[in-house]
This record gives sequence, C-alpha cells and structure tokens, in this order.
Amino acid sequence: MKQVEDAEIIAKFSEEKTRDEAFNLLLTKYQQKIYWHIRRLVIDHDDADDLVQDTFIKVWKNLAKFRSDSQLYTWIYRIATNECITFLNKKKQRNNTSLDEVSEELAQTLVESTYFNGDKVQLKLQQAILTLPEKQRLIFNMKYFDDLKYEDIAEITGTSVGALKASFHIAVKKIEAFMLNDDVTF
Amino acid sequence: MENNLENIPKNNPFSVPEGYFNESRSRVANAIFLDKLKSRVTSDGFTIPDAYFSELGGEISAAIATENLKVLGSTTEYTVPKGYFEQLQSNIVARTSAKREASVLKLWHSSLMKYASAACFVILSTTGFYFYQQHAPSLKTAYNDMATEQMLYDIDEDVIIDHIRDNNLQQVNATATDVALENYILSNYSQNEIASDL
Repeated sequence: MKQVEDAEIIAKFSEEKTRDEAFNLLLTKYQQKIYWHIRRLVIDHDDADDLVQDTFIKVWKNLAKFRSDSQLYTWIYRIATNECITFLNKKKQRNNTSLDEVSEELAQTLVESTYFNGDKVQLKLQQAILTLPEKQRLIFNMKYFDDLKYEDIAEITGTSVGALKASFHIAVKKIEAFMLNDDVTF
Repeated sequence: MENNLENIPKNNPFSVPEGYFNESRSRVANAIFLDKLKSRVTSDGFTIPDAYFSELGGEISAAIATENLKVLGSTTEYTVPKGYFEQLQSNIVARTSAKREASVLKLWHSSLMKYASAACFVILSTTGFYFYQQHAPSLKTAYNDMATEQMLYDIDEDVIIDHIRDNNLQQVNATATDVALENYILSNYSQNEIASDL
C-alpha cells in the first residue's frame, strides 16, 4: 500500500471536512511505529497501549498548530518519548524508587510478560538494554530497532548528533559486555 | 603556468575530529558486534494481542471522542449570572461574620441594682468580721490545749516524774508510789502548768 505523504496528511487535517480522514491516514501510517517505540521503553503491553492513546490524543489536539519546520514523524516520536519519560518518572515517584530499581522492575515485567516470546538471546538483549541509563536506552532503541538517522534522533531527543554518537557507542559497549559476561553465543 | 598541479603543495586539506583514530578500533569492534547481533536477533521478541493494531485506530478515535465530549461538557453544560461567584463569596462572608459577633449581656440594668449589691456586700463583710472576732480566742485556746496534750503524750512519763521530784515537789512524801504520784500530779496540776514547767 502506498504511504501517504506527511504534507498531504497535514493539508487534509487543516480542512474541517477532511480532518477525520487525515487523522485516520496518520494513524495508519504511524500507529505501529509509535507503539513499538513506546513498548520498548515501558515494556508492558497495557502501559504501552495507554501511552499510545495518550500520544495520539495529544497529536489530535496539537496537529493544527504543527509547523512544518520539523518532520511530522519526528514530532510524533517526540511526543511519544515525552509521554514515556513522564510515565517512568511518575512510576519512580509513586513507588519511591531509584532509576536502577525501575529498571529491575521493568526487567521483571519482561520475564513475566504474556506478550514476550523471545528466545534466550532476545531476552538477554532486552535485559542488557534495561541496564542502560534512560537516555542511552532511548538512543539505542531508536538507532538499533527503528533504524532512525542520527539527525532525526537528535531532533526527537533535543541532543546534538555528536553527543548521540558517543552515547550510542557507550551503550553498545555496555550491552556487549553484559552479553559476553553471560556466555551468550551468537 | 601557476595553476599546474605540480605547483600546488601536496598538503591534505581534510581533518578529522580530535581522537578519531584512537577510537576507530573500538568503533569498528562495535560495528562488528552490532552486525553479529542484528543477524542473530532479528526482532525484539515482544508480541501483541491478536488483531491489536486493527482495533487500535478505533480505540484511539473513541478516546479522542471522549476527550472532545469532556471539553464540550466542561464549557457549555451550565452557566451562572455574571459576577455570581464574586457576589456569592461576599454573601457567605457577610453571613458567617454576622453569626460570629459575640452578644453582650448587661449585668446591671439599673443603678438601684448596683447600690443594693454594694450594700449587701458591705453587710456580709461586716457580719463575717464580727463573728470571726467573737470566736477566734476560744478557737485559739482549743488549739493550744490540743497541742499541749499531744506534747505530753509524746514525753515519757519517767521524765515528767523525775523533773517534778527535782524541783518543787520535794515536800511530797518520798515513800509514795509512782502511781500515787502520777495521780497527784494529774489531779493538782493542769496540763498547761506541767507543759510550761517542762
């Protein structure tokens, strides 16, 4: 199926009569990408489901004000990322726990999740990613799984490309050390 | 020919970020690791419920519709007259402050009551003082007797007898027994006299 251009979606959304159609096109184009981006950050499917809905409600409310000085998909990714960070911070405050403890909690959720059927290596990789600091985790996921360009990740996270490259490099080193430490062969 | 290639110095005009070659080995090792990882781990292992994405669009639309209803409900449901809440607040403050004022009850309604009360006070005070003066001495004597009696009980009998013998009771028959002597003392001397001598 041919992907609709972002410009077309924005143009349709600006017209009252084609607004719903435009939003349906936007959902069709981005809902899966955004879901997986959120899911990798919050791990649990139900949490991800709530956050996807919150993200697209914000998109609906603010799309009319969207200026084309950034790309539509980086703008949506940015909203989704902020929703996830807010969610994880609230989780930290609610349980009065540190970031490390939240990571442990997420790792536990991963093991117990009904909706995770990865093999030993896949599980080990996710556990390794969960040991990273929040920003490195975010950058690694976007680069490794979503295959985004550094320039786009920089726009989403508000970080310079140079700093992103350094963060990604450090993240890969840590993941490699974590996985080799556990004698995972691949 | 100044622009001939052989006249241009063979300098490299390009540069790299500081420390680039020092880190290049590590960068290559990273790239090799990632390449291996990607070939081994093709997906992240996460799954979703059946038909999740086909229903997600509908769920998001429903959530947006609910949000829109909330906005409509909060703005157009009921209205109040202009300035109602300012007036309401001042009304409440006025009513609560009126209730809080303390009522003052006058104790003296007329000057006659004042003088009558003063007269009663003077009469009662005078009468009380008079009766106190009348009964005070007898009370004092009673108290003194009680104190003396208590003191005599506290003193050993032999001490009393020895004291009387040594002083003015030498003319009494020396052959008298202690019991007779005690009876004599008690019948001839008051308790005050014995106490003062002691």
